[in-house]
Amino acid sequence: MRRRYIINIIKKEWEDTLSNLNTLLLITLAPLLIIGQGLLVIYLVVRFAGEGVLMSPMFQTAMEKLEAILPSIAELPPIDKLQVLLFSQLHVYLLLIPVMIAITFATFSIIEEKQSRSLEPLLATPVRTDELFIGKALAGSIPALVMTWLCAGLSLIGIACLGTAHILGAVVTPSWFISVFLLVPAVTVLSFLLGAIISSRVNDPRNAQNISLLIILPVLALIAVQVIGVLLLTPLLFFIIAVIVGVVDLIVLRIGVRLFQRESIIIQWR
Amino acid sequence: MAVIETFGLSRSFGNIVAVEDLTLEVEQGEVLGFLGPNGAGKTTTIRMLAGIIAPTSGYAVVAGFRTDHEVERLHEVIGLLTEAPGFYNRLSARRNLEFFAGFYPYVDTQTQVDKYLRLMGLWERRRDKVGTFSKGMKQRRALARALLHEPQVLFLDEPTAGLDPEASREVREFIKDLSRQGRTIFLSTHNLAEAEFLCHRVALFRRQMLAVDTPQNLRQRLFHRQVVVQMDSAEDSVVDAVRKLDFVQAVHREGSRLIVELADFERNRPNLVECIVTAGGRIQEVSETEYSLEDVYLTLVREETEGSNATKS
Repeated sequence: MRRRYIINIIKKEWEDTLSNLNTLLLITLAPLLIIGQGLLVIYLVVRFAGEGVLMSPMFQTAMEKLEAILPSIAELPPIDKLQVLLFSQLHVYLLLIPVMIAITFATFSIIEEKQSRSLEPLLATPVRTDELFIGKALAGSIPALVMTWLCAGLSLIGIACLGTAHILGAVVTPSWFISVFLLVPAVTVLSFLLGAIISSRVNDPRNAQNISLLIILPVLALIAVQVIGVLLLTPLLFFIIAVIVGVVDLIVLRIGVRLFQRESIIIQWR
Repeated sequence: MAVIETFGLSRSFGNIVAVEDLTLEVEQGEVLGFLGPNGAGKTTTIRMLAGIIAPTSGYAVVAGFRTDHEVERLHEVIGLLTEAPGFYNRLSARRNLEFFAGFYPYVDTQTQVDKYLRLMGLWERRRDKVGTFSKGMKQRRALARALLHEPQVLFLDEPTAGLDPEASREVREFIKDLSRQGRTIFLSTHNLAEAEFLCHRVALFRRQMLAVDTPQNLRQRLFHRQVVVQMDSAEDSVVDAVRKLDFVQAVHREGSRLIVELADFERNRPNLVECIVTAGGRIQEVSETEYSLEDVYLTLVREETEGSNATKS
C-alpha cells in the first residue's frame, strides 16, 4: 500500500464530494439535526410527560433492567432515572449518523465515477485497485467517524446544558464507550462497503442510497428495543454486537475487494 | 525495435469471442492505425494492451512489460486515452490533472500540469470546472492527462469521436506532433481519412486481424492499378482498338471515359495513349483510379463477412 496514492485519492474524493452542496448539507447538517432532535425529544418528554411516564409499567420494567446494569442509579430521584434511561438511548441513536454519511460517500463516489467514466483512465495509472478501494473507503469512513464522534461529544454537552450534568456519569458508561468507539467504526465500515457494493450494480445514486438504507433497519430495530425497554443492552451485549458486525465487515470486505478488480470494474459493473 | 508485441492474443466474454489470435508488432516511433467496425474488438484489444483486462489466451508485451503480469510497471510507461474522456465534472481542469499526476511519483506535478494546460490551450480555463467545458476541450484535457508522465507508448481510442471538424483537426495535428516526437502510438479509429493522415501502417481488424500494412501497400494488394482516359467522346472504334492490345486485361467505358486495366501499368501506359490517338480518339486527361483507404477497408470487411457466412452455411 502506497500512502501517497491513498492520500491523493482521499483528497480528491473529499474535494469532489463536498463540492456538491446537497452532499455537504447531508453530511454536516443532518447529523446535527439527528442529535438535536434526540435531545429535544428527551427534554420535551421529561418536561411535559415526565410524571405520566414514571407511572407507566413499561418504564417500571425498563427501570428495573437499567438498575440491574447500572446499580449506581438506584439512589437517584425517579425523574433523574428517567433522564438516564432516555439519554442512554442516544448513543444507539448515534449509529444512524455513520450509516448515513458512509453510504452517501460510497454511492456518490462510485456512481459518479461510473457515470463520468473516469474509472478506466484511473485504472490505467500505476495505482492498484486495493489502494483505490482503501482510499475511497477511508474517504467515506473518516468523515462519518469524525461527525459521529463530534455528535457524541455534542450530545454530552447537550445533556449538561439541559441542567442534568450530574447524571453524565450514569450516561457515559462502558456501553457508551463500546458503542461509540467500537460499534460505530464497525457500522461505518459495513455501511461504506455495502454502499460501494450496491453502487457497483446500479447507476442512480438515489437508488443506491435507497437500497443501502436497508442497512439502517437493524440499527432502527436496536434503537426500538432499547427505547421500549424490551432489551437493555449490557456492555457485553454491545461488545458482542460490535464483534459480529466486525466479522460481517471482513466478509463484506472480501466481496468488495473482489468486485474492485480492474477486470470486474470494466466488465461486470453496470 | 518492436515496442508493442502481441502473441496469439485472444479474449472471450462467455461464449463471445471478442479478439481472436491477434499477433502484431508495432515498431518504436510508429503510428499504427487500428481500424474495424463497431464491435470488432478494438477497445477490448486496447484494454488488454493497456493492462486493464487480461487475455484469455496469448499475451502481449508493451515497452518490455507483460501486460498481464507487470501491470504497475506497464502503467508507468504508457498513456491511455479512453473512448470517453472521463473526468471529475466538479473539479477544475488543473485539479483533475493534478490528481492523475499524483500517481506518478517521478513527475513534477506542477510543471507538467502547467505545460500541458498551456500546450492544449486550456491555460485560461484552468480554474474552471471541467463540467463547463466543450467536447473538444474535454478531449484535449483527456489527451493532456494521458501525456502528463511523458509516456513513450500511447493508446488512443477514438480520439476524435464526437468532435466537430475544427476540434478534430486540432487533435489530429497534436497527434501528428506526438508522432514527430518519436512516440509509439496505437490509434483506434473509425475515421479512415484520419488513419491515412496519421498512421504509418494500418491494421484492419474484425475480431481477428484481416490485414496490416501501409495504406499504399494495402491498396496495391487489393486493387489493380487502372488507367482512366478522359476523352471528348469514347467512340466504338477507339474502344475496339484498345481491346485488341495484348497488354490490356480489361476495358470499361463510362460515358466519355475509358477505364483500362493494364498488364504492366508503368510500361504499357504510353502504348495505350499512342493506340487511342492513332485510333482517332481526342484525349483530354490521363489519370489513375484512386482507391481510398475506405475502399480497402470495405473490401476487406466484405470479404471477411462473406467468408464467415460461407463457413457458417
